[in-house]
Amino acid sequence: MKEKLSFKKGRAPRTLFRIFNAAFMALVLILMLVPLLKVVSDSFDRSTVYGLSLWPKHPSIEAYKSIFTNPNLFRPLIISIITTASGTVIGLAITTLGAYVLCQRSLIGRGFFAKFIFVTMIFNGGLVPTFLVLKGLHMTNTLWAILLPASVNVFNIVLMRNFFEQIPVSLFESAEMEGANPPQVFWRIVLPLSGAALASIGLFFAVEFWNMFFSYVIYISDTKLYNFQIKLRELILSEQNINDPAIMGFGNMVKNAGVVVAMLPFLFIYPFAQRYFIAGVTMGSVKE
Amino acid sequence: MGAKRDFAMTRRKLRNDRMYYLMFLPVLAFTLVFCYAPMVGVSLAFFKFTPFKRRFIGLDNFLDLFSGIKSTNFWRAFGNTLFLSVSNLILATIISVAFALLLNELVSRRLKGGVQTILYLPHFMSWVVVASIFTIILSPQNGFVNNLVVFFGGQPSYFLAEEKWWTPIYLFICRWRDTGWGTIIYLAALSGISPELYEAAEVDGAGKWRQAISITLPALSVTIITVFILQLGKVMNIFESVFVLQNPNVLNVSDVLTTFAYRIGIQQADYGMGTAIDLFKSFIGLGLVLITDAANKKIRGSSFL
Repeated sequence: MKEKLSFKKGRAPRTLFRIFNAAFMALVLILMLVPLLKVVSDSFDRSTVYGLSLWPKHPSIEAYKSIFTNPNLFRPLIISIITTASGTVIGLAITTLGAYVLCQRSLIGRGFFAKFIFVTMIFNGGLVPTFLVLKGLHMTNTLWAILLPASVNVFNIVLMRNFFEQIPVSLFESAEMEGANPPQVFWRIVLPLSGAALASIGLFFAVEFWNMFFSYVIYISDTKLYNFQIKLRELILSEQNINDPAIMGFGNMVKNAGVVVAMLPFLFIYPFAQRYFIAGVTMGSVKE
Repeated sequence: MGAKRDFAMTRRKLRNDRMYYLMFLPVLAFTLVFCYAPMVGVSLAFFKFTPFKRRFIGLDNFLDLFSGIKSTNFWRAFGNTLFLSVSNLILATIISVAFALLLNELVSRRLKGGVQTILYLPHFMSWVVVASIFTIILSPQNGFVNNLVVFFGGQPSYFLAEEKWWTPIYLFICRWRDTGWGTIIYLAALSGISPELYEAAEVDGAGKWRQAISITLPALSVTIITVFILQLGKVMNIFESVFVLQNPNVLNVSDVLTTFAYRIGIQQADYGMGTAIDLFKSFIGLGLVLITDAANKKIRGSSFL
């Protein structure tokens, strides 16, 4: 259904609308991209006064060098990478195990299990009691406080269960006939068939752990365990960076470069993974 | 007899299924420790904490909040929570629906795909990154926006530290980040509308505008209402976006219940008072969830609880 742009009788309003629409979208794109371009450009620019230019005047990669060589900045980056990788694995393990058991229709107690975890979607203890529980378990100031609580995500379990329920029951039955026990069915049949769902929910977890900020604010006071988001926040809030030898001289450039590094992984992955992200959203809505 | 056999069968089934229970154990344990254990801690709201002991004080924390020493800040935070959250929700609905409709009218597939990709992008940035970008852009010293203002002959201002600027900027940043993401669900609903409806309308002589009013909007209305009420249940939870953008100069317009609870409960370690604020917030939130669920039942005939 190809529509031509024409100003013939009767077509003019439609054509005008289409031109306006495309122009409006172009304007929106500029509004979306200018802040990003400015930050990227300034991260390569060693000028002290940036002005309005969206292209570096004095190109330099000093800022990135300092992020990757200065332990004050590099260490948080490593912490971010480690927690993202391990958090995603733990999160996927909990999610798939929970979802697999919850889709066993004949299991005694299944209804109770489902209610038991769904309740947590509506009720929670809140900030202070959760903090005190983790403190009581001596998890504060350890990365466990970051990794473990966030790995139980009921919404993800529901999504994963919906996906598992689409796997033909006959596959399970024939495997059980051949004497496979539940963990074997889970490992050899369910997981290999769930690539798309694992990618989708794995990405949700990865984004969550990479972007995690407030859990660190509450649970972590040991600066050695800061992740990159916390470090970036610290950088941005420091008005003048004279006191920090890490970034002396080109503070603003490092701020900009920090922003770029913090968003980099998903800028890279995102174009390839967009369909998995969107699959996650529509998976949730279809089931309702 | 029968009961005995049932019992034996149940036992055999439980034994056969023991692997499933074992596999569910981690989920159960995590939920118990990280979700249920804190719920017990809600009782802290009725205690006063001093460095070495705690004392039961009944409803005193709540009285302090509602009409006592904390009441000015508490009601300010409550008002800000509702105002910021609800205006954000209304703007999000209107703007996302409008964008979905406009995107749907883009004839070129490639243009549409490109615009969508860029619109979705900021949703994956953390609030820290988003706040950092705008803190830099809006900086009073040499920030991009102030450079523009000066370029056109204006006076630079410290946007994020001025009350009159903070709220509109906050709402703009929220739209900047999440408008694209919000359109996904409406675009999915739009693609579900049968093309036959439009063809029939065309035969009847209805123009595009008429079609949008008479076919598209009614078809979208259920999705719009559902998304709206689902989000309405979450208005009390507004947090990280505010936390990373606020600063002491603008607490009057930016302090919300969650940030207030954090300051009192964690920073000042007044555990009882912090829990009380949180409990009040959850209570209102629960009320909203129940109301929205009832509304959802009425509109769609199904409950999500």
